[in-house]
Amino acid sequence: MTARIKQWADANIKGDQVIWAIVFGLAIMSVFVVYSATGALAYRNMESIEHYLFKHMALIGLSLVAMWVAHKIDYRYYSRLSKLGLWLSIPLLIYAWKAGINLNDASRWITIPIINQVFQPSDLAKLSLIAAMAAMLSKRQQNIDDFKEVVIPMVLWSGVICGLIAMADLSSAVLLFATAMLLMFIGRVPLKYLAMLVVVGVVAGAIAMAVGQRGETAKSRIASFINATELPFQAEQARIAIAAGGILGKGPGKSDQRNFLPHPYSDFVYAIIIEEYGMLGGVVILLLYLALLYRGMKTVANSDRAFGGLLSAGLSFALVLQAMVNMAVVVGLGPITGLPLPFLSMGGTSLLFTGVSLGIIISVSRGEVDSEWNTISGEVKNVMKAA
Amino acid sequence: MSKKLNIKHSILFRVRVSFILVVLFALAIVYRIGVIQFVEGEKWNALAARIGLQYREVEATRGNILSDNGSLLATSIPFYRLALDPSRPSAQLLQEELDSLAYRLANFFGDASPTRYKRKIIDARESGRRYILLNRKLINYQEKKMIARWPLLRHGRMQAGVLFEKVDKRFRPFNYLAQRTIGFVNENHNGAGLEYSFNETLAGKPGKALFQKTMGGNWKPVPDASEVRPVDGYDLETTLDINLQDVTESALLKALENHNADYGTVVVMEVKTGKIKAMSNLGKLKNGKYGEKYNYAVGSHGLREPGSTFKLMTMLALLEETNIHLSDSIDTGDGTYTFYNSTIKDHEQGGYGKITIEEAFEVSSNIAMARLADRYFGLKPQLFYDYIEKAGLTKPLGFQIVGEGHPKVKKPAEWSGITLPWMAHGYGLELTPMHTLTLYNAIANNGVMVKPYIVNSIRKADKVIREFGPVVMNKAICSPATLSKLQLLLEGVVETGTARNINNAQYKIAGKTGTAVTLKNGRYQKAYMTSFVGYFPAANPEYSCIVVIENPKGFRQYGSSVAAPVFKEIADKIYAKDIAMHLALEDDFEPEYGVFPVIRSGYREDLQFICNQLGISNHTLANEEWVKTKVEDNSVLWRKNQVQPGITPDVTGMTLRDAIYVLETCGYRVKMKGSIGRVKKQSVMPGRKVVKGDKITIELG
Repeated sequence: MTARIKQWADANIKGDQVIWAIVFGLAIMSVFVVYSATGALAYRNMESIEHYLFKHMALIGLSLVAMWVAHKIDYRYYSRLSKLGLWLSIPLLIYAWKAGINLNDASRWITIPIINQVFQPSDLAKLSLIAAMAAMLSKRQQNIDDFKEVVIPMVLWSGVICGLIAMADLSSAVLLFATAMLLMFIGRVPLKYLAMLVVVGVVAGAIAMAVGQRGETAKSRIASFINATELPFQAEQARIAIAAGGILGKGPGKSDQRNFLPHPYSDFVYAIIIEEYGMLGGVVILLLYLALLYRGMKTVANSDRAFGGLLSAGLSFALVLQAMVNMAVVVGLGPITGLPLPFLSMGGTSLLFTGVSLGIIISVSRGEVDSEWNTISGEVKNVMKAA
Repeated sequence: MSKKLNIKHSILFRVRVSFILVVLFALAIVYRIGVIQFVEGEKWNALAARIGLQYREVEATRGNILSDNGSLLATSIPFYRLALDPSRPSAQLLQEELDSLAYRLANFFGDASPTRYKRKIIDARESGRRYILLNRKLINYQEKKMIARWPLLRHGRMQAGVLFEKVDKRFRPFNYLAQRTIGFVNENHNGAGLEYSFNETLAGKPGKALFQKTMGGNWKPVPDASEVRPVDGYDLETTLDINLQDVTESALLKALENHNADYGTVVVMEVKTGKIKAMSNLGKLKNGKYGEKYNYAVGSHGLREPGSTFKLMTMLALLEETNIHLSDSIDTGDGTYTFYNSTIKDHEQGGYGKITIEEAFEVSSNIAMARLADRYFGLKPQLFYDYIEKAGLTKPLGFQIVGEGHPKVKKPAEWSGITLPWMAHGYGLELTPMHTLTLYNAIANNGVMVKPYIVNSIRKADKVIREFGPVVMNKAICSPATLSKLQLLLEGVVETGTARNINNAQYKIAGKTGTAVTLKNGRYQKAYMTSFVGYFPAANPEYSCIVVIENPKGFRQYGSSVAAPVFKEIADKIYAKDIAMHLALEDDFEPEYGVFPVIRSGYREDLQFICNQLGISNHTLANEEWVKTKVEDNSVLWRKNQVQPGITPDVTGMTLRDAIYVLETCGYRVKMKGSIGRVKKQSVMPGRKVVKGDKITIELG
């Protein structure tokens, strides 16, 4: 039996096996934690708990499928797809901002007709932007110092996309902008340009605060983070959860704070993890993300082409940075953001995009491992000759 | 080649630097976990124990109870209490808007000065409190809307910390009307009437929200916490007609007060459908007044031996089972008749002697019914019982109000020798008034027994969630031949029998009186339950109605004299209002030529309207606003009456209203003499110039 599974896996699951293992590990953890968190009193009354469990399991399954499909595609296609994604994102983001569904005072969602599923255009925009940045950076490695040719287009794209996202979702925009900056740093954009970019980012952020829907929320959240005499309710409850967890935790499904913590299944799922599985569980989760980042980064060393490495590194960093920020918020290192923990939180379609990201990372790793792709990669050989 | 390698090395180097930064970040997270658990651990654990969080129910808005035309019989009115989280607003916001808020609060509640309000908020803020009730007084929705626009508060729950705590109050716009039928539910979830019977439907589903205990012992909703929104209750649309209910209640009350009775109940039912159009229950309260305290019409305390009204059932069984004729005679003797050891008496001293069965029913002879039943069913009592069962009188009706009394009808196996003759005139079994009415309604409805119902539909605003509609319990409770005989008997009771005191020329009533001796503690007392049950108009019945008055005191204590007049009063009022019930009047008037209404002078459109309505031919020479009249042959001719500013008009013949209007538009100040009629004289001749403010006196007559 096990031999059969191994045989099937060898035939169908290609690429970095470690990443696959980490993702499966996170997925299983996610089902446990979300099941526990939605068992909170408030949600128990609305629907049967199993409703949330099955919905979440279905989404996890779907995102694994998305990941599998994405990993089957030669990663070089993503270079072209990313441009398409970017252009598509702009009207979708504007539509969501102006006419989207309003949840928690922020219109980030639009409903896809026919299947009637809400989705966040910012997820698509994020993925597209990182892939496009990787593509742009890899193409311009030879003249990376050229301000007009290299920096301007990238700054424009990241500025427009992050600016539009910021209208409805400031923290996602800030995180994406930071990721883009990190990607440019990795992609050898000179530090002096990056310093300029920081200034532009701060100005843009200030504008978004004034114009967008979330300015007031952001202001009050930052203010309450800075003068920490009065903790916001969520932060206070999260800390109670962490303190209650101890080293080994209360045990699966034994959380008490899930009843009081808002969104225990998404924004504050890490607090529930620590409460139930202790500091040990929290550290394991951290290590899983770091391992994921490490494996995503490794492709840079193995890769012959800049695009693959940058794509993989960019997506890994985007994912892991979001995880780090989420966890930092939970432990009180930053103001409340409302960012979910990738692949662990319950959350509709953003899970699918996380799956796609992971699929692309594996696709890159696969491109370097599988010999068949090397034979058709004429691009590399040409570069080698030229060099 | 080397450049390429350099690029790669540079990228690798940068990736590694970034990775290390992330690792450091992760270490910081672990460090923070450690701090929270080991350094601050006790603090957080203590906070968890102290903080007093609790999920509490958030009441759903209770549904309304409506009358048949949508009038509110019971509704929940939301009121609010104004509270504030004084830690929420920013210092700047407070500085800018607190003063004007305090001023408005002081003005609105009127119980403290602006300074007091201001200090209350500031003090609470400084002492770190996160909840204060600004005032205990409940404010209504309109006031809430206004207050929500006030300075500071207009910034809402998140930024100003304003909280409107909803408190629902049940309100019955018609106060005591049908109070018991509408009912109530108390805190212990006991209750009565529709409110209780349909409690789940009306109540909706409560939601849940996280509350935190405040220093004052109040529960404050936690603003950012998750909540389950309550689902509001559905509305009940009843069949009650509020006007009919009013008529019914006042007629019953009057009778109860006149006869100093213990209690009374009246139910009015729509014949075709079984809709309860009015249901009134009045019992004597401790203070000697009457009030709705128990639903005797339906409830188990309303179960009584029906007495003579049950003779209809006896006749139904006899007519169905045997071939006796209404004209057959029966000997009632001298008014007493003994079965075994038990004597049955008729009301009339000395008895009715030998009379027809029809007469026996009309005068309500107990002996006749007892003897007939004994003669035909004495050897086969089961048959008699079967007829009662078939008429649906042995089982509860399944009425929509809970607590329905179950009829007590013994099975023949439990009968003694005297059970049948006693049952034949309405003793030895117990029914609720609603049950008796249902039987009579079936006779009115040509044998079709419909189930009485009071809730027509369950609705959510305009959407019908569930409709009840008429339910036929029995398509034919007897043969058509029996039916028409029974109808004849009931009409006879009013025409020539015990209830002839309510006979009238306008419309026919059919029904039966009942005067039952009350059984108390197993002995028959000198106390009576009087009743009248029937329907009207007999020719084409629209409504059936039962009136029961328990233990009236005084000289005349019969169904005919106590209960029947109440029925008549209600029927009269319904009849007077319901044009559809009236027979068309014969077209027997002749036009009176040459007789005209007094119109003389006035506003042409008005006068023309009157003439047209009265069918008086009229025509016009001038298309003027103001006219005078002239009779020509048999018609009215309109003549011009000049009205122009500055010239005194001719107002003689006008009504006071028209005259004042015309004169004042010309500039006059009008004084008048006399109080009725049209203008007879005016003090200034027509045609004179008017100076604005001149006085004119007009005389009416």
